[in-house]
Amino acid sequence: MANIDSSSTFLNSRSGRQLSEDPRQQIIDARADAWAGCPRARPRIEGLVDPGSFVEYGLLAGRTSDVDDDGPSDGLVGGVGEIDGHPVVTAALDATVVEGTLSERNQRKLGKLLYLAITNRWPVVLFVEGAGARRDDPLPPPPIVQYTRARWDVLDGLAELSGWAPTVAVVTGDTLDAGVAMAVACDTVVGVAGASLGGTPEGGGQSALRPVEDHALRGDVDAVVDDDGAAISWVQTYLHHWFGTPGDGRTSDRHDTVASIVPDNRRRPYDMARVVEAVADADSLLELGARRAKGMLTYLGRLGGIPVGFFANQPRSPRAGAIDAAAADKAARFVELCDAYELPLVSFVDNPGYMVGPDAEREGIARHHARPLSALHHRTVPLYTVQIRKAYGLGPFAMSGYGSSRGMPTLRLSWPSVESGGMSLEGAAYLVKRREIREASSPEEARRIRDDYAEDMRDVASGVRAGRTYSFDDVVLPEETRERIISMLRRWHRVLPDSKKHPVDGR
Amino acid sequence: MNEQKVNELNAVKARQLDAARPDAVAKVHGGGKLTARERIAQLLDPDSEVEYGSIAAVDPDGMGRGWIAEQGGVDFVGTVDGHTVIASSTDYTDRGGGYGAARLERLIGLAYQHRWPMVLFVDGGGSRARHPRVGLGHIETSGPIGRFQLFDGMAELSGWTPTVAIVSGPSYAGHASIAAFSDFVISTPGSSIGMGGPPMVEAALGITVTPNELAGAEMHEVTGGIDLLAADEHEAIAAARRYLSYLHDTDPGPAHPEAAAIAGLVSDEGPYDMVPVIEALLDHDTFMELRTAFARSVLTGFGRIDGRSVGVVASQPLVEGGRIDESAAVKINRFVELCDSYHIPLVILVDSEGCVTSWPNPDELDGSAIVEPGVNRYHQRVVTTHQHRRVDAVVVEIGKARGMTLHVMAGSLNARTIPLQHLAWPTKEIGHVDGYSNLRNVNAVDDVIDPAETRTRIARLLAHLPDRVAVRASETAKRHPVDTW
Repeated sequence: MANIDSSSTFLNSRSGRQLSEDPRQQIIDARADAWAGCPRARPRIEGLVDPGSFVEYGLLAGRTSDVDDDGPSDGLVGGVGEIDGHPVVTAALDATVVEGTLSERNQRKLGKLLYLAITNRWPVVLFVEGAGARRDDPLPPPPIVQYTRARWDVLDGLAELSGWAPTVAVVTGDTLDAGVAMAVACDTVVGVAGASLGGTPEGGGQSALRPVEDHALRGDVDAVVDDDGAAISWVQTYLHHWFGTPGDGRTSDRHDTVASIVPDNRRRPYDMARVVEAVADADSLLELGARRAKGMLTYLGRLGGIPVGFFANQPRSPRAGAIDAAAADKAARFVELCDAYELPLVSFVDNPGYMVGPDAEREGIARHHARPLSALHHRTVPLYTVQIRKAYGLGPFAMSGYGSSRGMPTLRLSWPSVESGGMSLEGAAYLVKRREIREASSPEEARRIRDDYAEDMRDVASGVRAGRTYSFDDVVLPEETRERIISMLRRWHRVLPDSKKHPVDGR
Repeated sequence: MNEQKVNELNAVKARQLDAARPDAVAKVHGGGKLTARERIAQLLDPDSEVEYGSIAAVDPDGMGRGWIAEQGGVDFVGTVDGHTVIASSTDYTDRGGGYGAARLERLIGLAYQHRWPMVLFVDGGGSRARHPRVGLGHIETSGPIGRFQLFDGMAELSGWTPTVAIVSGPSYAGHASIAAFSDFVISTPGSSIGMGGPPMVEAALGITVTPNELAGAEMHEVTGGIDLLAADEHEAIAAARRYLSYLHDTDPGPAHPEAAAIAGLVSDEGPYDMVPVIEALLDHDTFMELRTAFARSVLTGFGRIDGRSVGVVASQPLVEGGRIDESAAVKINRFVELCDSYHIPLVILVDSEGCVTSWPNPDELDGSAIVEPGVNRYHQRVVTTHQHRRVDAVVVEIGKARGMTLHVMAGSLNARTIPLQHLAWPTKEIGHVDGYSNLRNVNAVDDVIDPAETRTRIARLLAHLPDRVAVRASETAKRHPVDTW
């Protein structure tokens, strides 16, 4: 510990500045030295928050308690700022200061900030990089895994925030061990291209690092962006949904195409992303999990200026929109996220059912399939659902909930192209014509028998029947869909419940 | 009353009984199985059963052309060890055991209102195959407002009252959903649980598979699709009864013969088997392990200490040094949610080398994984689950708790989830070990104890907890559903 009486002999190890004898000047100098540190972290925070809005916590908190400390802000810049006037807690690790490691002191600082986020229900944005827990920390164990009593530690705080206020991690550089734990403790993880996440073997040795793109494939990173600037604007766009910021409500230029996207041939796939783009407000979509489970699309976006979440089957995907374990998980998590943060849900449904077969079973579809059903059942935000084409088996329930009780959609629409049943027509053909199909002279002949039966069984007026049986609240033309949903959505008012509904499942 | 009417009624009822259909019964017995009614009789306490819908009939094509007796299943309310349980069984001899959803919905309503556990025998092919044009058809927009239908009803029960599924045959589509939504799934060898049966698979993928190749119980046992593989239906029913018994405390049972020698079961010399340690800690012969063949580096199961039910979460140092991969995290997560829902306190025994992640191995076509040190969202979600649980936990650190393993097994030891007591044995590893912490401070635990004291210590702590029945009675809503995965 530095001796204050003789402190005038100390030089700041970074700036080389000699300690002033004036206490006021000492602080001015120490601040200047701290501000000069963390060259990676500070620009990120400056980019994120409104100019002049940042109130920093623990600027002077150093690696050591020494007056001539060499670890500016202990490698973690943190405080409270505003994004377009909305308060946000933000902190950034800096890999240039003690390798961006987590220490008792910088985690105590972060714990304090998370406390502010919890008590005020402010969102949190963390810029994460670095080598994990600091191995030579001279202080007691870092609370990222060990604990000091009677206050939120970092993992606690982030777990507590889950479902209460959004937390976003931006992975800005190579991140190891406890740094990864911090990132994945956030609801949403954005990776900057070039950054990696990984772990260190027990007892040390070469760390295993994998690029954020790999983690995105697995669903541990929700979006990969090109650079810091793109990450910051991604986060700002994301958080404006939580802030409830209205959009301009402009209809997309692509809306004119909406009636021509679904092919006349009922077996031809199409790109569901075009449907979502046509119906949503112009330039309003922010895709989550684009690299994961490509059979299920999830976006935040706006309709008539109101922030909503869209989820949709993707017929143009390897499993033709059939819901497999990964797609079920992706949908369930998205529903939980939107429900927790009070964003209404809009679904576009076209699936041949849940995925079947030995591979899908080994992946666990028989259990995973129930997750979106449960998430939809337990949600309370309104759901507006559009059945576009296929609705077979239990598949549509995963997208539009059940008929009655808690899960009923506010509005259940279909397009004239709807077709539905307990199982697909082709599946029914196999049950009825199994023998003929098996004994067919060629695969082509087998397919012809199947397709002829399916065609024979097809309800040529299934759209009208969907309306007659009151299976849907209305059967609408594609071009009417947008206005119809907006009309009902406008009558809903966003009120955040006083207590947390539920945390957001990371998977 | 006109005696003829009573006789007619009794005659109709008699036709529903096993005695009236010897051929069907012989077929069931020939397959080594019990009939639907025999299953229920074996499950429930004698003379406790009350039947629902004994002569229910269905209009098979919905066209009013004729009603036929609904023999697809039988439904009862009765007791197990004196506690009310709803029991239902499909009947595979009747048109493939297709369920009459309305009947199950009725039982779900009862289970919801009274918080009665349900035991469902589900073998069959989902809702009855019908002509596609008149079958399930378009999903109806609404039923009676607020009334549960089959799957939303099962979702609603999850976490509110225990549900047990026994699958002893092929179980596909809707039947698989009922199993998926159940808290506890018991299967027998040769059974299968899948989203679509072989004909559906043939239609969708053009491949011919046997039920076992498609989704056999043996596969599910390893991949976590079921909680228990029982040798046969008798054992499955006994397991269901045993599972339900942990919802209630009993009189204190005898300690395990090895209880005093527990310290000797832990080796300083290398990996040791945690199962005997658990057994030595619990009342004699009360450990019921779940998901035994799935994620074997952690152990989960129920047991009793001085008669009080506990849920045990433990590292298994014998397997991968007790490392926690995605599957192990899933196993812990679901078990913690289950215990939290039904107020079963947790006893957590920690001795783990660390957390690992698994990645597909591009060089191996057999699906084997590359395992690397690290954490991901699978680990984090357990931390979040612990953060939100309200049931108490006693944590015992036995050896290593490297990386984030203590958090994954026991939650953050701070704030909302502080353990009832955080204990360590003298074998606990301290000091700088890994990239998660630089020091493990022995002062961070509430007490370091002689292993032989552990059982008594936990028993005394549990005695301070409120009575489970009182806690249940005070709840007006469930805490959360139990995640199906």
